[in-house]
This record gives sequence, structure tokens and C-alpha cells, in this order.
Amino acid sequence: MRVHLGGHLNWYDAQKRAWLDVHIGDALSLEQLLQQLGVPAEEVGVAALNGSVIELESASVSDADRLELYPPVSGGSS
Amino acid sequence: MLYGTTGKILHIDLNTSTWTVEELGEATYRLYPGAKALAAYVLLRDLPPHTEPLGPDNILVLANGVLTGAPLSTATRFTAAARSPLTGGYGESEAGGFWGPELKFAGFEAITLRGRAEHPVYIWIKDGKVEIRDARHLWGREPHEAQETIRGELGDKLIRVLQIGAGGENKVRYAALTNDLRHFNGRTGMGAVMGSKNVKAIAVRGSGKYLDLTHDSKTVSNLGKQLARRVKDHPQAWDLQDKGTPGIVAGLNASGILPTRNFRAGAFEGVDNLRWEAYEKELLTARRSCYACAIRCKREVEVHDRYEVSNQYGGPEYEAVSGFGSNCGIDDLQAVAKANELCGRYTLDAISTANVIAFAMECFEHGLIGPYDTEGLDLSFGNAPAMLQAIEWIAHRHGIGNLLAEGVKRASEFIGGEAKFFALHVKGQELPMHDPRGKVGVGLGYAVSETGADHLVAFHDPVVANPNSLMFKSVAPLGITDALPPRELSEKKVRNYFIMESWSSAGKVTGLCYFGPAPRSFIEAQEMTDAVRAVTGWDVMIQELQQVGERAINLARVFNMREGFSRKDDVLPERLYTPSEAGALAGVAMDRVAFAQALTQLYAHKGWDADTGKPTRERLRALGIEWAADAMETQSI
Repeated sequence: MRVHLGGHLNWYDAQKRAWLDVHIGDALSLEQLLQQLGVPAEEVGVAALNGSVIELESASVSDADRLELYPPVSGGSS
Repeated sequence: MLYGTTGKILHIDLNTSTWTVEELGEATYRLYPGAKALAAYVLLRDLPPHTEPLGPDNILVLANGVLTGAPLSTATRFTAAARSPLTGGYGESEAGGFWGPELKFAGFEAITLRGRAEHPVYIWIKDGKVEIRDARHLWGREPHEAQETIRGELGDKLIRVLQIGAGGENKVRYAALTNDLRHFNGRTGMGAVMGSKNVKAIAVRGSGKYLDLTHDSKTVSNLGKQLARRVKDHPQAWDLQDKGTPGIVAGLNASGILPTRNFRAGAFEGVDNLRWEAYEKELLTARRSCYACAIRCKREVEVHDRYEVSNQYGGPEYEAVSGFGSNCGIDDLQAVAKANELCGRYTLDAISTANVIAFAMECFEHGLIGPYDTEGLDLSFGNAPAMLQAIEWIAHRHGIGNLLAEGVKRASEFIGGEAKFFALHVKGQELPMHDPRGKVGVGLGYAVSETGADHLVAFHDPVVANPNSLMFKSVAPLGITDALPPRELSEKKVRNYFIMESWSSAGKVTGLCYFGPAPRSFIEAQEMTDAVRAVTGWDVMIQELQQVGERAINLARVFNMREGFSRKDDVLPERLYTPSEAGALAGVAMDRVAFAQALTQLYAHKGWDADTGKPTRERLRALGIEWAADAMETQSI
């Protein structure tokens, strides 16, 4: 899947990448994916899955998705 | 002994080409330790109410903060203030760069300009010495030419030049000041005020050292080194260095709050051409800094393609990307960069200029202005060449540009009909590119701000939405205990707003950039306080700085009350009460009843009268400025 770490979220990536191609195999919850990427969930202000804003707690993702993550300073989800 | 400041205000009378120096006492300086606080104090003290903003009797104040010039990242800012030609109320704008620190090194904490010179002049200040010089040969010249000429005439390439371009000379009501060509006091028309005084520029050079002014130079120096080292280790500070403000475009779009086509929508179909990745690829040539700042958030751009964009005037900030981009329906980043360059070249406030053009585009769409008014120019949303032409016309007050140079409030009143619904302003100042429908506290800020709509009067709601986030943890020392969703408009949100507004104001007063203090960035509240303690030797606590911030706001509020402003002016434009048309917040509007209720609650926190919006004598007394209550009562309409 394609993942965007917007704003200061790509600071958490060792290579400071803004866009990552991630192979996850089976579907994951979004929180599991964040753990895998090393991005603290509390630093995510808004998440958009395939262009639509989603709730962090209830979302799951798969390899076919495009996920964009942004910190609170860029906006907010609710 | 007064530390952290030269304690001197230079008062220049342009009518007589003379000047005097006022020495500040410590008690006065502790109440008004620079910048916004000092400027508002001087204006309220010296400027009679109802002074014509563009007449000779207006006073332009340029004032440093107590930390301005310190070897601390983001301690670079100075305030420009006067009665605003845009709003008729308290006008104020801060800029970073190098000019403020250099003024302090030259021996002055602040300058006031009074009267009007007989012909264009520039002012030369070096190490306490002042000279008023002929500038007739500079009038009409662009800032890069004027700066080069002044430096050449005075024989020093390191002279810092604060100046106006065509916008200020032609008294565009939202003309800016620029220093070093890339740093702007953008808002409320301070460039027009300087132009009205026939002052082209103020050149400064000093050999003073900030640390020589401080009470505890070792602590200040160590803190500066700590902060500089921390930039790369702090996610937000690093992000400001990496992307700068243009980095927030895509996130706001995803959140449904990227102003689009004059705030009709909060998401833009062309956003992929405006987002940071496109900016970096298409525009960016370098990252630049203000004085002694390790963040280096300023972008340098250069383009030789669809447009020619010079690298002399700095790259577009987020406000320009959204303002000339999505809010004008334009997805060409090179055109955005060109528009931003023109604003720098002509010293126009990019926020107001972009907003004015979006207004004109909506009027054009509705037939309120037509090709006859625009000399055939097709001012449709999305027409980038027309946008650039409009900027030229505004700066030179040509054709319809003469009307648009008046700002959206006056232009809408002239056009009439439904044009007023397309005029996005508060108190006459155009909205910045932040949509309160998705962050309601920003709406409170727009409404109560003494300068009209301003996005920097408080920190934005999302930064304190998650109780576990770095940002939320950083505001605990300020007394914020409740993490609240960005769109919640509750009494708790009002309390959060009040606390953050005072802290934001304290940052301005001390001379720190908005991108210094937490929660927006990396300087913790206690560190900011420690810096003021070390510089001044005062036993200052966080609470005193909060009060300093609140005091400055109240001085400016009293200034406005004296001019006849009241609660009726603390209102948002109608568009924000209509549903956003597209994006994640499609269908969402501000709640009029809830907003009015929140405003009343905010007045209660501020100690302002619920009906009139006037600061009460009791609150002004508690803030140590009861004299301001007397001024309000004796001098109001």
C-alpha cells in the first residue's frame, strides 16, 4: 500500500520519507500499521483512506489502499 | 538597571525633521516589555482618537520585544503599529528578518514616526545617530533597487533596510513593510501609513551586542545553544525547517478546511499541484533563516518556466499558496509563486491581496462586475494571468485595481447588492486562509482580534485535541487541562482559547516568532519564561507573562473602543454560517447561536462587558492599566 506521512509525521521515519510503499499482506488495523511504521498514534490528527477521512480507532487497511496521515497542526478530523 | 533593552524610544517628527529620545523606566518597561505591548501603550498614550489613518497626525510605531535580537532561535520579531487605514482601529503586524535585532544593536528599542515629510525621505540610524536623507531618487523604485542604492550610498552592505514599494507609495490600504526584501509586516496596512508620511525606508546599522544588555548572559547563551541543537530532534521544529508553512496544504485539504474559491469549499480538486511535494519539485531552491534562528523556515524559490519568478523576494508561505491557489481556484504553483513575488515587489499583504482577488472573482462570476469594469479582463476563478494582472493594477491603483486597493469591505460597499456576502473580512481586514468551520477557536480569534481577522492571535484548535500528543502536553503549564475536538464550541473550548490567546500575545510581546513557542513549535513555556528571567533579571513566572499578553490585548481593545468599536464588530462573515460545499466538512457550517453564546463566555473570561464588549475598569485595574479605563471613558465617542 501507499502511505503518506504528512507534516511532522515523517520525522518518525528513519529515512524521513514522506511517501512509503508498504507491503502488509493481511489487512491490519490502522493502529497496528502505525505501530509497524513507528508513528505515534497520538501525533496523527487526521487520516484519509483513499481520499476519505476515517477514524483512527476503527479503520483497517490493506495493500490496495492509499493512506494519508497528517498531524494535528495541519487540521483535525472532528 | 534595565536589562534586555536599550530602554530608548526614538521619536521622529517628520514635519520638522527633528527627533527626541525617550528613556523608559523599569516599572514602565516591565508592564510593556516591548513589541505589541509597547506599541499599544505608546499609541494609546500619544495618539488622539479619530486621527485620520493616512493623515500626517497618525503615529507609526516600530517596536522590538524584550528578547528581539537575543541569540535564541525565533527571537527576531518587531511590531509595526498605527491606526489602521484598513480597519480604522488598532493596526499591527509583526515581522522577523534582521531589521529588529539591528535596531536594538543600533541603540533603540523602538521608533515612532510622526508628521509627514515635505518630500520622500529615508531615515538612517547608526549607533544612536540619526539622519533624515532625501529619497526622491528612490520613490517609485522597487525594493531590491532601493535597498542596493541605500547600501551603496551609505557604504555598508550589511545595513538592514525596512521599506515600502509601490503598494505603500500608492497607499493601498493593505500595503506591507518589508525588510531584507523577504520579511514582511504584512497586515493592517502599515506600509500605507509609512507611505503617507513620505518615508521610503529606514536603514539601520549597529555595533551593539545583545548579550551585553542581558542580566545573565551565560544562561541566555546556553539556552540559545540548547535550542539550536534541538531543532533536528523536535518533530515540529524539524518539520518547519524541512517544509516550512507550505507543508500544511495537503493536511488542511484532507480535513476539509483548505479555503477554496472564496471559502465556498474546504477541499480543492487541484491540490496535488499545490501540495508540498510539488512545491519542493517545482519551486524550491534554498531554505533561509531570520536572525540567529536555527529553524530556517523561510523558503527561497526561483522559476524560469511558465513564469519568471525572481529569487529575491522569498517563496510563498502557506497563506499565499492557499490564497492565490485554492482560494482563487488556481492549481498552478508557478503562478502562485509569481503572485507572491509581485506582493513582495510591491509590498502588498499577500493574505489581503489574495482574498481581495477571490472576492473580485466571485463578484465577476455573479455579474456584479463585468468586462466593462475590468477593461476586458476575464476575472474568472482559475484564471492565473488575470490574477497576476489584478495584482499589478492594485499596486498601481489602476482601473478596478483602485477599488480593490481599498479592501473587500469598502469595495463591496461600493459595488453594492450581494457583494457584501462575498466580502470575507472582520472589522475590514480580510480573512487569512484558515476556515473556522473546521476549527472553531480560530473563529473566536477572528471575531475578537483587535486588528480584524487574524490567524495568529491564538493557537489553533487541533493542536490541543489529543491529550497524549506532544502539543497538548506542552500546554499543561499554561493551565490547559481539557483536550477538545477542533469543532467543539463549548465553555471549555472558550477557556482554552482564552489561555492560548494570552500566551500567543506574550510570545509577540517578547519578540518571539509564532514558530518558536509551544504548542506550535519547540520552546516550552518554562523555557520562554527562563529566557525572560535571564535577560531581564526579573523574577518573572509564566503567570506574569500570561498577564503581559493579556494586558497588551486590552490596550489594543481600549484603542478600538475609543474609536467607536463594540461587540457589534466582533462578528464573522456570513459565509462561515453557510455550509461548506466540498471536502470532508461538506455541509458543515458555523452555529450562529452557539457562537454568540461562546463570545459572551469569552467576554466573561476577559473581563469585558457582555453587551458592549468594553474592558471593565476592574479588569484593567487588575492588569495594572486603570489609566486605560480613564482614556476609554473620556475619549470615546
